[in-house]
Amino acid sequence: MTVVHVFAKVVPDVSALEHDPATLEPRLDRAPRKLGDADLVALEAGIRVKEKLGGEVVVLSSGSGVSEAVLREALAMGADRCLFVDDASLDAADSWVTANILAALSRKAGAAELYICGEASSDHSNYQLGPRLAETLGLDCITHVTSLEVLRGKVTATRSLEDSLETVEAQTPIVVSVGLELAQPRLPSLLMIRAATRKPVQKVSIVDLGLGDDEVTPRVSRLSLKAIKTSRRNRVLSGDPRECALTLLKGLGDEGVLRPG
Amino acid sequence: MIKTLLAAEQESELRELLVVASRLNPASTSAVLPESMLESPALRGVPLSSVVPLPAPNGRPLAQLVGVIHRAVEQLGALVVIAPSNKTWRELMSRVAQRMRAGCITDCTRLALEDGRITAERPSLGGAFLEKLEVNKLPVLLTCQLRGVEEQWPEREVKPEVLRIEVASKEEGTLRILSRERFAKSGVDLARARRIVAVGRGFRRMEDLRMAEELARLLEAEIACSRPIASDLKWLPEDRHIGLSGRWVSPDLYIAIGISGQVQHMVGVRNSKIIVAVNNDPSAPIHREADYSVIQDLYVFLPELVKVINERRGRPT
Repeated sequence: MTVVHVFAKVVPDVSALEHDPATLEPRLDRAPRKLGDADLVALEAGIRVKEKLGGEVVVLSSGSGVSEAVLREALAMGADRCLFVDDASLDAADSWVTANILAALSRKAGAAELYICGEASSDHSNYQLGPRLAETLGLDCITHVTSLEVLRGKVTATRSLEDSLETVEAQTPIVVSVGLELAQPRLPSLLMIRAATRKPVQKVSIVDLGLGDDEVTPRVSRLSLKAIKTSRRNRVLSGDPRECALTLLKGLGDEGVLRPG
Repeated sequence: MIKTLLAAEQESELRELLVVASRLNPASTSAVLPESMLESPALRGVPLSSVVPLPAPNGRPLAQLVGVIHRAVEQLGALVVIAPSNKTWRELMSRVAQRMRAGCITDCTRLALEDGRITAERPSLGGAFLEKLEVNKLPVLLTCQLRGVEEQWPEREVKPEVLRIEVASKEEGTLRILSRERFAKSGVDLARARRIVAVGRGFRRMEDLRMAEELARLLEAEIACSRPIASDLKWLPEDRHIGLSGRWVSPDLYIAIGISGQVQHMVGVRNSKIIVAVNNDPSAPIHREADYSVIQDLYVFLPELVKVINERRGRPT
């Protein structure tokens, strides 16, 4: 029996995100919500461990405007239950606050052998949750995992680093952050979606987590969030390939970015 | 006036981080460096007040390094710690931050001191947005995206104090490295490349990359790729992958061939001077961020482009 805690964030779909042309601010309220890409991989990894060894997958989530309907998608994939914090104050949460909240939520859900999260969230991509959870829970951390084996209190994992693939071994309990390459998240069947409506989802308030003021005080605040405006020449070349090639080379030559050939 | 601590594994990283740190007008700057760099002659004249030797992160459990860096920050009284943005340092910095109950900002593209407060900019929401953050409380740990910009420091006799920090073996944790398989590497540093030819999913077979390689050879450019080409298809090594989770580049010329231009890719190339997109889909997002949008089938256009370059150089085709 292996208990797996999976950390999943409800995020705006950044590929469908628009911005206000005047203020350049994102129109987050208009973007569809979903679970983070790497978080879905974390769920898939957790569910596979459960399928092999038996046990339980608990989903933990926090944020502002957390959609219970989106969390149910995690349950439909095969997770057993979910605890989440939804609080408007978490709009201003930084990685310090988020890690403290999620660690406390995880403790509330009980002890686990594996704590799995995505290597980065799909919205702010801080890459901090896994390492910070490990520190808070007093555990070791294996980041950027692209393959994972769990057996009798031991994990063997492959990490994808910039210059190498590293195979590591560690004892459980342990925190693991996964990369997109690890697995393709499954699509739940209609039957599983229906079954998920009966699985327990518990909303927990921040005060019930027993955190001190300092633990929910952000170290970093956001001053602004704006679309990056790029000014490019946007010259379109189409039609005859040879003409395109000649025009392009002439243009690049004039820009001085081409070696004189 | 604050004390800063830099963390670098290469001399070029250290030099660029010194430039970054200088914007914060620090009282003094120290550095955590690999043992092997301490005796480097290139380090002479670099204005550091202390250096802390670091066991090589590669091949060592990271937990041990967290202890070294944490203690270095405390003993030196550093209030700002700056490291390069990569997988190793993002992890180390966020772990040290949590241990010190401190803030951490990863992937900074700009740091500044405004009215006595440290501000940082970083890409967000997949890379199409920029967030500006303010540090409320020090110490703070930062990782910065380096661009291959560095400065020569005036030669002067500086002998930084060497601070050695030992960590007890019980702090090493249970993690053990069983093996490391290094990716095939050309030794190229894409961050410094002046010209880059990048390939994407528009290429149907690995052998077809030869067309792009030929163009790169003619232009004396480096070959790079979008995430799927390296991470999923493994047609090119991971150190050629450009984008949010890969390398960030700032060449004079960036030619993207068969790349659709998802925001996660574009964040890595925005600092390019000129962007050329070759993609037969006129609605591909990359065309919105290109200086030259070539709406052509790459299988037709690339051989033609190579032919024209060869002709202009007076070579038989």
